[in-house]
Amino acid sequence: MIRFATLTRREVNRWVKIWKQTIGAPLLETFLYISVFGAALGSRVGDLDGVDYTVFVIPGLILMAWAINAFTNNSSSILQQKFQHSIDDQLSSPASPFQLLMAFTLGGFLRGMTISVITFLVASLLVDLPVEHPLILIAGLVLVGFFFAQLGVLIGVRAEQFDDVSFAQTFILQPLIFLGGVFYSASLLPEPYQTLTHFNPVYYMISLVRYGFLGQADVNVALSLVLLTAATAALFLLNLRLFTTGYKLRA
Amino acid sequence: MPLAPNTATPAHPPRHSDGPALRVDDLVKRYPTGTEALRGVSLEIKDGQFFGLLGPNGAGKSTMIHCATGLATPSEGTIRIFGHDAVSDYADARESIGLAPQDINLDWFATCEEVLDYHGGYFGMSKKDRKERVTELLDAFTLTAKRKESTRTLSGGMKRRLTLARALMHRPRLLILDEPTAGVDVELRLELWQYVKQVNAEGTTILLTTHYLEEAEELCDQIAFINDGQIVAEGTSEQLAAKFQVSSLEDAYLKLVGRNELSRAHVGSDAP
Repeated sequence: MIRFATLTRREVNRWVKIWKQTIGAPLLETFLYISVFGAALGSRVGDLDGVDYTVFVIPGLILMAWAINAFTNNSSSILQQKFQHSIDDQLSSPASPFQLLMAFTLGGFLRGMTISVITFLVASLLVDLPVEHPLILIAGLVLVGFFFAQLGVLIGVRAEQFDDVSFAQTFILQPLIFLGGVFYSASLLPEPYQTLTHFNPVYYMISLVRYGFLGQADVNVALSLVLLTAATAALFLLNLRLFTTGYKLRA
Repeated sequence: MPLAPNTATPAHPPRHSDGPALRVDDLVKRYPTGTEALRGVSLEIKDGQFFGLLGPNGAGKSTMIHCATGLATPSEGTIRIFGHDAVSDYADARESIGLAPQDINLDWFATCEEVLDYHGGYFGMSKKDRKERVTELLDAFTLTAKRKESTRTLSGGMKRRLTLARALMHRPRLLILDEPTAGVDVELRLELWQYVKQVNAEGTTILLTTHYLEEAEELCDQIAFINDGQIVAEGTSEQLAAKFQVSSLEDAYLKLVGRNELSRAHVGSDAP
């Protein structure tokens, strides 16, 4: 337990020490989104699916903050340590592959959670943000955070240069999140975009979280939970395999 | 400031010895490219020995160390650390090893104190034990004043000392020093020699790789030559010189790498 706690402490301390970059900047970004899309454009848009537009976008923004920060933290932390070879200190210790993977995962997971919780608390002060299904909301957000934390680990382990990480974030992650319906309801899209959205896994995640907050979902909630759990478990098992074999970590 | 080796407690508490400190049998390391960095290395380092592993760049020294410490996976053969298999019983095997790598690899985000504290935690040391050991090692390596400073602010010599302190943090029974004095000034080199000699005298087995032959002669009681992924000779400094039919370890080494013409024994012999 000491090993795992120390490995996790190291990962958390890394982002706490540079909080202006890792917490301050994402928080500012999220509130700029709320200001621009919610307060400024929201007054023109009015209601969406029967909900005030500002309230409509906040669940997606909370999810986006958790997902992007969990991903970015883990991919950067692992790649940076691989570059400096400081990861060798952890890899040559008696810590098991499971302990190493969980610690790297939790580093980003907790950073994403911190930003999302602060966003939620501040947004709750600014607007009347309902939480219709708290258990579904917590389960959904935790699964989303864990999924993207795992994805960050995967990209960090595979990456050989910083370009690999930024490519994944800019060209894969952000388009999936933005086109998953953070700022709009997929039901408003014309064909074929509405159908195409259903092939985007983030669409189901956003629907799940929005259901937790607002009580309305475009998709089957139970099915979304099952699929998200299965996808997260599959990613975790893949990463565990990589840590066990030492893929791109050990020579 | 000089190191203060006498301020540190013995490197590790006495424990039951269960086999040689390091036993390597027919070790092969083959990379996906097909390159064989190690080609059937066999070696035994007895408990308490100060063992030197010498060889030219690319001979396989670091690869063997990486295989022992889990930073590389052996393709064939076995490595046992005090009887524990380095692959199947890796946790017990690594528990006994302290590694000071060739290249400084300190955590940029950590202070000196945190580097040692994290390392102790990775090896399962309790908070109280870690705290005491950190204080002891920072003092021994004259880094107490830098306790709260980031590793990025340290001089090269301080980084090297902190790397050695980190390797000793969990009181390993086998200390592996991979070219520990590369690029350090004479003063620090002598201080490090003094410290590792004491650590060895207290019972810690040491495996040292170095390019400095006088370092191996000064410190090691057993030396092996590794070349092209194979152990080609082993013995004391005198035995190796005798084996290569020369008068010094340096000449034995030069003969091994095929550069006899560089021998200082020839200097002046054909001067006009």
